[in-house]
Amino acid sequence: MQTFENAKAGDIVLTLADRIIENRAYLSEIDGKIGDGDHGVNMAKGFGLAAERLKGKDASLAEALDTLGTVLMTEIGGSMGPLYGVMFTEFAEKIEGADAIDAAAYSRMLHAGLEGIRSIGSAKVGDKTLLDTLVPAVDAFDAAIAGGESFAEALDALVSAAEAGRDSTRDLVAKIGRASRLGERSLGVLDAGATSCAIILRELSHGARARLA
Amino acid sequence: MTIKTPTPRKGAANRSGTIDASDAIPLRYGDDPYVWACWLYYEDGMTQGEIAEAMGVSRATVNSYLADAREKGIVNISIEPARLASLTIAQELKRHFGLTDCLVVPSDDNARPLIDRLGAAGAQALPKLLKSGDTLAVAWGRTVLSVGEHAGIASLQDMTVVQATGGTTAAFAYTPELCASAIARAISARCVNITAPAVVKSPELLHMLLEEPLVQEQFATLARANRVLFGISSLRPNSTIHTSGFFESVSLQDYLAAGAVGVVAGRFIDERGRPVAGPLDDRTVGISLDLLRKIGTRIAVAGGFDKVPALLAALRGGYVNVLITDAATGHGILRADGVTALDAKLSHRPKLVQTPSSYRTHVKKFLNNPNEVVEEMLDGVVRAHGKYLQPVNGSHRALVARRGPRPGKVGLVIGGGTGHEPCFLGYVGKGLADAVAVGNIFSSPPPDPIVQCAEAASGGEGVLFVYGNYAGDVMNFEMAAEIAEEKGIRVRTVLTTDDVASSPVEDREGRRGVAGNFFIFKIAGAACDRGLSLEACEAVTRKANLRTYTVGVALEPGSMPQTRRHNFEIGPDDMEVGMGIHGEPGVTRERIRSADEITDSIMDRIFKEMKTAPGERVAVLVNSFGATPLMELYILFRRVEQRLAAKDILIEANWIGHYCTSLDMAGASITILHLDQELSDLLHHPCETAFLKIN
Repeated sequence: MQTFENAKAGDIVLTLADRIIENRAYLSEIDGKIGDGDHGVNMAKGFGLAAERLKGKDASLAEALDTLGTVLMTEIGGSMGPLYGVMFTEFAEKIEGADAIDAAAYSRMLHAGLEGIRSIGSAKVGDKTLLDTLVPAVDAFDAAIAGGESFAEALDALVSAAEAGRDSTRDLVAKIGRASRLGERSLGVLDAGATSCAIILRELSHGARARLA
Repeated sequence: MTIKTPTPRKGAANRSGTIDASDAIPLRYGDDPYVWACWLYYEDGMTQGEIAEAMGVSRATVNSYLADAREKGIVNISIEPARLASLTIAQELKRHFGLTDCLVVPSDDNARPLIDRLGAAGAQALPKLLKSGDTLAVAWGRTVLSVGEHAGIASLQDMTVVQATGGTTAAFAYTPELCASAIARAISARCVNITAPAVVKSPELLHMLLEEPLVQEQFATLARANRVLFGISSLRPNSTIHTSGFFESVSLQDYLAAGAVGVVAGRFIDERGRPVAGPLDDRTVGISLDLLRKIGTRIAVAGGFDKVPALLAALRGGYVNVLITDAATGHGILRADGVTALDAKLSHRPKLVQTPSSYRTHVKKFLNNPNEVVEEMLDGVVRAHGKYLQPVNGSHRALVARRGPRPGKVGLVIGGGTGHEPCFLGYVGKGLADAVAVGNIFSSPPPDPIVQCAEAASGGEGVLFVYGNYAGDVMNFEMAAEIAEEKGIRVRTVLTTDDVASSPVEDREGRRGVAGNFFIFKIAGAACDRGLSLEACEAVTRKANLRTYTVGVALEPGSMPQTRRHNFEIGPDDMEVGMGIHGEPGVTRERIRSADEITDSIMDRIFKEMKTAPGERVAVLVNSFGATPLMELYILFRRVEQRLAAKDILIEANWIGHYCTSLDMAGASITILHLDQELSDLLHHPCETAFLKIN
């Protein structure tokens, strides 16, 4: 059975932060089309702060996710701060204390994050939010495992589904948040939260996949 | 016709001679007045007024001829291809690396050496980047010196230039001292040199030097720099780093072996922009990379293909937020970082710009840096209203009333996103809110500043949180409340839900909080100031919220400072009734009607819920969303008063103006607070804040 070591996977969060920071301008640009154009700036600020605190700490994945979640939750504000904050702290809580993370633990982690978001937000799939990325990604991972595929294959399925989910927001009309005010005008534009969520899931899963043994 | 360059004006004096028939179009223009107007404007160089006279039409008609001619394709304005390419590259660099600004000089101009052209470009950019009172740190390099030689700005005052590193041998022409003094001369600045060598013999010597009071003073100036200008050196054999003698005493092999690709202000960085450790680290006198990165405006001037890896590293490392380079280098950097979409763009034929002059994509605003709007506003607020409020622990995101909190008094904490000024910070002061937590534009503050506010506001008797009912605010304030409770501060919360239009009356608790905040904060603040218990303060604030009714109408959308675009649209003849303060949907979109009819529809909605008896009293707030002037607010108030008087309801107090805005949205809201004796007493309780004073 494939697993990866919790203790050696904290660097995934640093790579994740790098990706978010690299995409700062891109995320803000998408956000600017139907929002206030600060998604990239706020995300880069939060992930950058967390990365600074983690550098040289040799943290486990659980510890790194907890640091990231706490920074987002307490220092970023808006809706994204608490939403991603709760997702990462829930992720961290679920894998805390586990030495090796297998597919079942990874799935529990994803579900906990999703439930955390659902407990504080009111969006549904189809509302043009980050849930349009997260929900199909989690489903695809579970389906792959249930279908007898390996952890690695399931992670690939997760990433593909996340990216397809992100792309689906292009054809959706925003139902929640400020973009909902634009109605039909939000058609044809990616949702910034769905886009950043796809980046997060891809980096997390690629990082896990590269460490499988 | 295609206009390439503006043709010099030809003989205005003989205009009446060449055009004499003012009532008929000269034969050569056919029967097309557009072509005639364009000819006179673009070829003959006449003004619009002169054309109007010549054609026998009004100026406005000429103006519309000229605008329409562009739409009709009679006039094409094209940008010279090389310039267009460099603009495209600049835009892409700015976007890709999140730069504040970027200037790219065209590459096909081979008349002058690159160093010269970059120097001239830097000189051209400096006036836009510098402001009076700045302290500019200057590193050394051929390009930096070239900027100094080309620049000449006389309009700046109180400028300081500080050398960013120690000095070097004078064997070459662009020593740190010379670069700093050339720039200082060019911008009429006081020049502070670092009177120590850039590289010293040993770490011990470095320590001793840095303890010299004179050097310390120079470094203190360096630490105050708010802008920095530097070149970027590659580590290729012919680069300045090798030829300058800056590092002549050591071999660079150690750094190259450790992956160094470039040098920024005498410090080595790898391809991702991370500092590379080496033997010179403890022997280099000058600005550290950390300090450099903390400076607000970080201007790099550099070009040449050999510098692409070094520039890319500096950009990735975040050392640069204003880049001045040439098109070939800029293009190279983008390709090296995997941006290929640009190639397709650049191979296109120059695009015709055909935007009708009446069409705008961006709203004009008073801005410096769109990403710093909130910080700059708060800086202004603290400077303007220091009499009433001050930062908590130095943070402008948590502001506390100077004469507010006191032992034994319940503390009142309010807060929310910005863009609603004077809400919320205008209501902090004695007798009203004790502290305010400030978020980004239309975005809740995180829990940290809210907790700081709770601690600052606490007088030992608990703290009351009052804020608008929005998902983001609720999440963040609830977290803050939990943290404050853990710190031993009792917290009670009242969500404001005065926006009648946002939800049916059965779902009163689901409504948004809008301009009625003004009354609800006032009541809460008075209750706290009178020394009521936390429970009593909460109860009366809840009562005030339940008796406050607001309906807003928007006429035009607002626009965000970051995008300078409207954040939604309202049709040319439409208005939106029930609009929230962030542009959330209203109840209906209708054709715009007269002010009285609009007021009536608002008052009808309010009267449906507010059960008053003749002789009862209310307070009225007629509030602008930002762009609507007082003149129109008074017209609304006039009708509000008529409607209330017709029901024999007395207006005990009224406020008319900007009290809870939505950036520059046009529109207004009407709020009625249904008073009883208790609320009336609290409303009149004295308070002293920047935007509301009651004696």
